[in-house]
Amino acid sequence: MIRALSLIVALGLTACSAEKAPHSASAEPSFAPLKEPLGQIVTMRRLTEAQYRNSIADIFGPDIRVAGRFEPIVRPVHELIATGAASSTISPAGLEQFDAMARAIAAQIFDADHRAQFMDCAPRDAAAPDPDCAARVLVPVGRYLFRRPMTQEEVAAYVMMAGKATESSGSFHKGLELGLAAMLVSPHFLYVVESAEPDPESLGGLRLDNLARASRLSFLMWNTTPNEALLKAAEQGQLTDPAQLAAIAGRMVRSPRLEDGVRAFFADMLLFEKFDEMAKDQIVYPRFNPDVASALSEQMLRMIVDQLVTQKGDYRDLFTTRRTFINRALGPLYQAKVTSTQGWVPYEFALGDDRAGLLGQAGFLALYAHSGRSSPTLRGRAVRELLLCQPVPNPPGNVNFTAVQDVTSTAMPTAKMRLTAHNSDPVCAACHRITDPLGLPLEKFDGIGAFRPRENGAPIDTAGLFEGVAFQGNVGLGKALAASKSTTECVAGRAFQYATGRVPEDNGGLAGGIEQDFAKDGYRIASLFLRVATMPQAYRIAATPLAAPQIAMTTRTGVHP
Amino acid sequence: MIAYRIAALCTASFLAPIAQAQALPAPPANGELGFVFTHFAPAIHQGAQDCPDGLAATLRENYLQTQAPAERLRLLEKPNEAELTKRWTGYAFGPQGTNICTHPALFDRPPQRIVQGKVAQGLDLDEGADADGCGHEPFTSPTGQTGVDNQTWRAMGCVRTWRGVDGTGGDIVRGLTQFLVSGEHTQVLLLTGVDSLQDDPDVSVIYANSEDRAVVDSKQNFMRDASYTVVANAQHRNVLKGRIVDGVLMTDPAQIRLRQTWGQGSERDIRGKRTEYDMTKARLRLTFQPDGSLKGLVGGYQPIWDIMASASIGGEGAATTAGYDCAAMYAALKKLADGDRDPATGQCRRISSAMEAGAIPAFVNDTPPATKVAQQ
Repeated sequence: MIRALSLIVALGLTACSAEKAPHSASAEPSFAPLKEPLGQIVTMRRLTEAQYRNSIADIFGPDIRVAGRFEPIVRPVHELIATGAASSTISPAGLEQFDAMARAIAAQIFDADHRAQFMDCAPRDAAAPDPDCAARVLVPVGRYLFRRPMTQEEVAAYVMMAGKATESSGSFHKGLELGLAAMLVSPHFLYVVESAEPDPESLGGLRLDNLARASRLSFLMWNTTPNEALLKAAEQGQLTDPAQLAAIAGRMVRSPRLEDGVRAFFADMLLFEKFDEMAKDQIVYPRFNPDVASALSEQMLRMIVDQLVTQKGDYRDLFTTRRTFINRALGPLYQAKVTSTQGWVPYEFALGDDRAGLLGQAGFLALYAHSGRSSPTLRGRAVRELLLCQPVPNPPGNVNFTAVQDVTSTAMPTAKMRLTAHNSDPVCAACHRITDPLGLPLEKFDGIGAFRPRENGAPIDTAGLFEGVAFQGNVGLGKALAASKSTTECVAGRAFQYATGRVPEDNGGLAGGIEQDFAKDGYRIASLFLRVATMPQAYRIAATPLAAPQIAMTTRTGVHP
Repeated sequence: MIAYRIAALCTASFLAPIAQAQALPAPPANGELGFVFTHFAPAIHQGAQDCPDGLAATLRENYLQTQAPAERLRLLEKPNEAELTKRWTGYAFGPQGTNICTHPALFDRPPQRIVQGKVAQGLDLDEGADADGCGHEPFTSPTGQTGVDNQTWRAMGCVRTWRGVDGTGGDIVRGLTQFLVSGEHTQVLLLTGVDSLQDDPDVSVIYANSEDRAVVDSKQNFMRDASYTVVANAQHRNVLKGRIVDGVLMTDPAQIRLRQTWGQGSERDIRGKRTEYDMTKARLRLTFQPDGSLKGLVGGYQPIWDIMASASIGGEGAATTAGYDCAAMYAALKKLADGDRDPATGQCRRISSAMEAGAIPAFVNDTPPATKVAQQ
């Protein structure tokens, strides 16, 4: 699908560029167009919304507003958005949105308040084309946007677009503005185009080239576009040298910006896009107001970052830690005192509180519940699929849900009783045996994750069973998950998928190897990221190379494909 | 319909003792209880004999009374409505752009109709002494308590926007409640040293404002167990000495000052006029409910200007749109004022009042004055 993607840039388009490097740039930006042909394109991965926003902020500054609707990337079943991005197209309507955003961004960059930051030259005539000045502006910014130096053809085309737009608008800056907008809708910006070169370690094989590795590292570690230092390292060929790659990746993994990468990874792994569509019945859960809804995912991410990045903790402890963060909106839901008027504050659940761990967070509990009731099945399935990487089959189409939906039943006041009745059908029981023992321990939390000692006046049985071990409640479930090899193998495999955009085809062997290294390093997330960022297998290309994207651009000599 | 009402009354009478018999919850181990006020508005009691001559007259009605009967009848004819409107609204203005609500003392008007009934909500503020008062006849409470001092109700209880109809308080009650919901002037209560909600002879009470807006659910009801932080301004952090007797929290008389904000802009935008609740010899009498909440009264002597703050801030709009005869209102309040007598003039400057209050459990972060200095 990507191969078929083509953009017709027939408007008066001009490129504008920041002479400033991204925020972390440490060296002079490059003005030289790429003299060598582009490498063999092997993958095109669409930028996520966060990656798009982070890229704009890093290249142009955080005060540049990005407003618009991002067409979602479809998540393949049981996979990551990161893998879906490798096969994601953009619809015409989606491209219209990108175009509108691009024009709005470009207008800000070349308005009177900002243009000086991005231009180190002045046009000879502010109302006439100036190809030299336009090139001085366009070439550096193109390098950041495309994550590689622009080709000579691209430079010529965008400079010419700027000129034509200047002629039609009577403004050099307006011409640059329209040109930059064109660059921002180029597939070379909207997609991370991964290119490859012959692999000296594998006769006839391919490996990602240096510039592709720069993007891979940057989006994995920091969820943003490569900065000047990383681009320069790639241009100098350092990223195909294992020792230098390890050194650079090591520096990146020790950066505070690792938090952005970790947030993005877990938001993907835990299906956080579902928060955007989560709705609760306001009659049943009047406490679930918009402030609560918007705080749930952030609370989970703060907890994850604190445990794995700030505390440099063991991934397994994520399921048992009593540390989290809380704000005023969530205080009533947790029945907890919040000591700060604004923002988030650390909070530690009392010893013996069943809230501990990731699964005790209201966000997880609310996300995997129905709008008006809890769901041991949805929660158990989420644990299986997201945290253990064990897919659960969908229910057949003709299931009778009458028993489980009768939440006011006096004869069956608890979810466990209702599920027991439902499971009298052996077809249903087969799957519920997989899910429910992992969801029923969470039943003391209702459909929005609030604690409830009883359901319909009846005591709640929170007994659970996992890998032959019986336990009680969320705390017991967290300990069981923390003790399971499946948990750490799952996250190890997910990290590889997230980094590469592909699912390993070796039936778990690769994930097992990553997990062993993960274990040696005490299950530290930084070590896991470093491992997948430096392992040669992550850069080897097994798939058939793609054809180069066809982009029709008007040039002096006609249409340049 | 009648049968339904009787049945409801019977049910209520049966339920009341049961509710009273319900045990109060035990206080937490640290003896600390926090609350946020969900209701704080003039205490309303609609006695049948309160306003035998009708409600307090509007400015339009009072203007018409100044006219000879024949002229009055002429003005009331439909074709003359525009002329009447022009004349009665003009009655709201005095020389040099003054208006009757911003400057009521400049207008010499007779007092508005006042409450004639003998029953009102309130507390015994002077404990029968009235040493620096101006003399008044106390009310009896709906439950039979004598010596109730609430001259504010006597002065304002026949004003339609206070009195309301059919057991429901007037606009002032709804407005002030909404101000709490929207966070115009959040009030919190922090009790420490509580050993029992039934009886405790020594309880420390902090009654304060919070800058934190109310945390409300999707139906705009306050949520229990939300957190609030006491304001840094010590002026609005009242430290009181209290006790609990038979499940009722009472505090010793003291001055209580709380921020008050009138009006609001957009849904969540505070841009109202800032005033203050300033109550002397003030006290709380709040009853613990089985669900852990509090209901009761806050009483004290308020400056007579504060009672009509809403109308005064409203200015000419309060007179010409709401129809308040603020001069008549002011005259009634001045006449009935019963506290803080000026030794020079003999005029009392404050008036006894009672606010109906309700509060639900909340977490309250105190801000002791020493901490504030350090932070600054």
